[in-house]
Amino acid sequence: MAALALALLAPPASAAGLGPDAANSPNADSIRTAYWVMLAVALVLGTALIAGLVVAARRFRARDDAAPRRLTAARGTAGRVGAGLGVLAAAIFVFGVVMTEDARDASADESAESLDIGVVGQQWLWRFEYPQDSESSTGEEIATVFSYGELVVPVDTTVNLAIDSTDVIHRWFIPALGGQVEAVPGEVAETSFRAEEEGVFEGSSTQFSGTGYPAMRATVRVVSEAEYEEYVQSLAEELSEAQAEVAGESAAESPDPEAPEGAAP
Amino acid sequence: MSPPPTIAEPRPEVVTRGVPPRRAAWLEATTSTDHKAVAKLWLGAALTFLAVAAVEFALTRLQLIVPDSTILVPEVFNRILSASTVSAVVLFAVPALIGLIGYIVPLQIGARGVALPRLNQLAFWLFATGALMIYASFLYTVPETPLAPFPPLADEVFSPSNGVDAWVGGVALATLGFVLFAVNLIATLRNMRAPGMAWRRAPIFTWAAATIGYVLLVAGGAMLAALTMLTVDRHFDGVFFDAGENGEPLLFSHLTWIFFAGCHAILVIGAFGIISEIVPSLSRKPLFSRPAAAGSLVAIGFLGVLAWMQNMYAAPIPDGFAYMAMAAALALVVPIGLIYFNWIATMWNGAVSLRAPMILALCGAAALMLGLGGQLMTAVIPVGLQLENTVAAQQDTIMVVVGFTLAVFAGLHYWLPKVTGRSVAEGPAKLAAGLILGSAVVFALAMFLAGLEGQPVDVFRYYEEDGVATENLIATIAAIFLVLGVLVELGNLAGSYSSGRVAAHDPWRGTTLEWFALSPPPPHNFDAVPDVRSAEPLRDIREAIREREAAYEPPAPLPRAAAPEPAPAPVTAHAPESQPEPEAPSQPEAEAQGPAPDTSTGEDGNDSPLT
Repeated sequence: MAALALALLAPPASAAGLGPDAANSPNADSIRTAYWVMLAVALVLGTALIAGLVVAARRFRARDDAAPRRLTAARGTAGRVGAGLGVLAAAIFVFGVVMTEDARDASADESAESLDIGVVGQQWLWRFEYPQDSESSTGEEIATVFSYGELVVPVDTTVNLAIDSTDVIHRWFIPALGGQVEAVPGEVAETSFRAEEEGVFEGSSTQFSGTGYPAMRATVRVVSEAEYEEYVQSLAEELSEAQAEVAGESAAESPDPEAPEGAAP
Repeated sequence: MSPPPTIAEPRPEVVTRGVPPRRAAWLEATTSTDHKAVAKLWLGAALTFLAVAAVEFALTRLQLIVPDSTILVPEVFNRILSASTVSAVVLFAVPALIGLIGYIVPLQIGARGVALPRLNQLAFWLFATGALMIYASFLYTVPETPLAPFPPLADEVFSPSNGVDAWVGGVALATLGFVLFAVNLIATLRNMRAPGMAWRRAPIFTWAAATIGYVLLVAGGAMLAALTMLTVDRHFDGVFFDAGENGEPLLFSHLTWIFFAGCHAILVIGAFGIISEIVPSLSRKPLFSRPAAAGSLVAIGFLGVLAWMQNMYAAPIPDGFAYMAMAAALALVVPIGLIYFNWIATMWNGAVSLRAPMILALCGAAALMLGLGGQLMTAVIPVGLQLENTVAAQQDTIMVVVGFTLAVFAGLHYWLPKVTGRSVAEGPAKLAAGLILGSAVVFALAMFLAGLEGQPVDVFRYYEEDGVATENLIATIAAIFLVLGVLVELGNLAGSYSSGRVAAHDPWRGTTLEWFALSPPPPHNFDAVPDVRSAEPLRDIREAIREREAAYEPPAPLPRAAAPEPAPAPVTAHAPESQPEPEAPSQPEAEAQGPAPDTSTGEDGNDSPLT
């Protein structure tokens, strides 16, 4: 019943801007379902209680020196109301647990494709580390392929994020692709999403991290599988070029043969 | 023939070198250990910081009125934001409640003082030193810690300035003050209740105070531990929160959230306690289902602290902990819903008098429901993951603080006649109540919508393409009206403090013992403390007086011819010995007859408080 009512009511309410922007991942969908249900519960409960106060105050308004009509009320009412509220709380709890399983990540739905990305927060940008399945043309070992600020992922693929921080606490949050995850130094938090459509999705960190905090934004660009391969390939090439350049420079300047790893593009 | 004696025989006499000079009023006010004097200091400081915090809040909102705003430079914005948050919670909200409790609760329980008066006084001065320390940092380095200095950001590496130390030291001193106040409060409540005042007969605000005392002990202790460890980390090579050295940054988050969850619970309990005193009193009915209301307040304290991790759903904590927090946060629906239901049931069939305290209390209840309803949503983990740390969840907290502020205003309107002997003007209060609640609703809605778009908390800037410009514009305008409302009411309170209309000793026909004392109460509170025989001792006393008046028969005129037998007549006329509670009627009778010229005008003077 409630689900049906929600299914009918949610789209117009969403159009009116009363809900979060459209989701693009199953876990973000679950978050939206939970949101609509809880919005309805909170609205009904809050409206009922405030309306009760207003009605009681208006209906029984009296002069200052008036006497009350009755001094007592029915016994046992509080117990019944409390029991009703308790049942409501228990129901919300069960609902919340069920929805949490779906909302934390998108990996519950088994899909053939999956991709592991490392997300590292630092003041005040995000660094994305792609898996090393693309070997360089020369066959030599390359440093992790990475990008800053923008994460490019293939569509319809479960993307597992391992979120970490190198300095202070940050928060990873792309509203269309799931809930917030705190990036705490020394801990790796895991989440995942599976983008259903191509597009560009933005978000910003929601944890104060110093003066540059509002600039700590992230973009996720969802592209087709082929485009993704191409992108990672180009990243890898860029990186190896940069590495070669650095290695050449350091070879020319100093006898140290070890090239520094992970030079920023 | 001896001369008449001109020198009297020696006899004992009292010798004095004169009346000791009165101490200056300010000296008396600041050094007295009377709980009422100390409580007035708490209230004065708290309301001052309310004005400061409100203005700072308006400034931060002003910065966000348009996208890409450069009104304030980022550092200044962060500093004002930090000062606003710490002022609102640590320097206004908790101290305001402590002030009301410190003044009213000893009177409510029929005590002639508090158990540990010097500790009580020390508590205030520790708090005042802490507040001074925080604001003195404006002279050197201001902290940039919007909610709290979370490590590693607060470690020396990332925050080398001593602004963080000012925050840590100031909040620690203030918190220590809260804890010492709680120690005195608990000792007083356990030992100094009037004869016959069992816990089941204790007034509802006293129940709220008792719960708040225990919550302060737990939450304040956690905060003191966290701040001590942070200081050790910063200055003495500690590694409590250093992830690189097997420390745990999240530990600080847990401890501070215990404190802030405790503060939040305290605000809710305090506001509910105040409203639960005013609603029955101005509905002329006993509080509906007192045991349920008192139990609800205790449950809110317990569950509210237990649910601290509901603010950490996004942090890497085990699922079981998150579920425990969610269970505790959702269980809060029962006590909170019951309290609201009890207010409705109390007003039902009553004689509701919509005087200023009642209006403010009902507006406070509505604003609290706005915030608590939003928090019910974010208590569910998936919704929390979406809304936490966005302005949508932030406005829930702001609404709770606004509701609490309205409840404190209601409490001040209700109890200031007891404190000063003067009533507070009601016209400006009703205006302020409407202004505050109206703008709070607009503000809450606008911020909620902006939060749904993902606007994070504590940012000094957002961009045109974020699509939250309209919401922020509306929110800023609403916030300015909100602050105006608060300032109007503060001005009203200040104006009425020393020049309001003179009030009666019991202007609201209250039923608890604070109305048994004179207004303002003498230093020892009560000449005589009555036996408490129910939850509403003053109702009993009024009934006893009524019965006595009904039973009173004027003495028969003395027969002229009869022999003079004057003894029996005066005995029947006064007859106090035959009645129970010999000392009880002294004050209420004095009230009824009007010992001072102002009493008779006070009763109706309150009806038209246009001055």
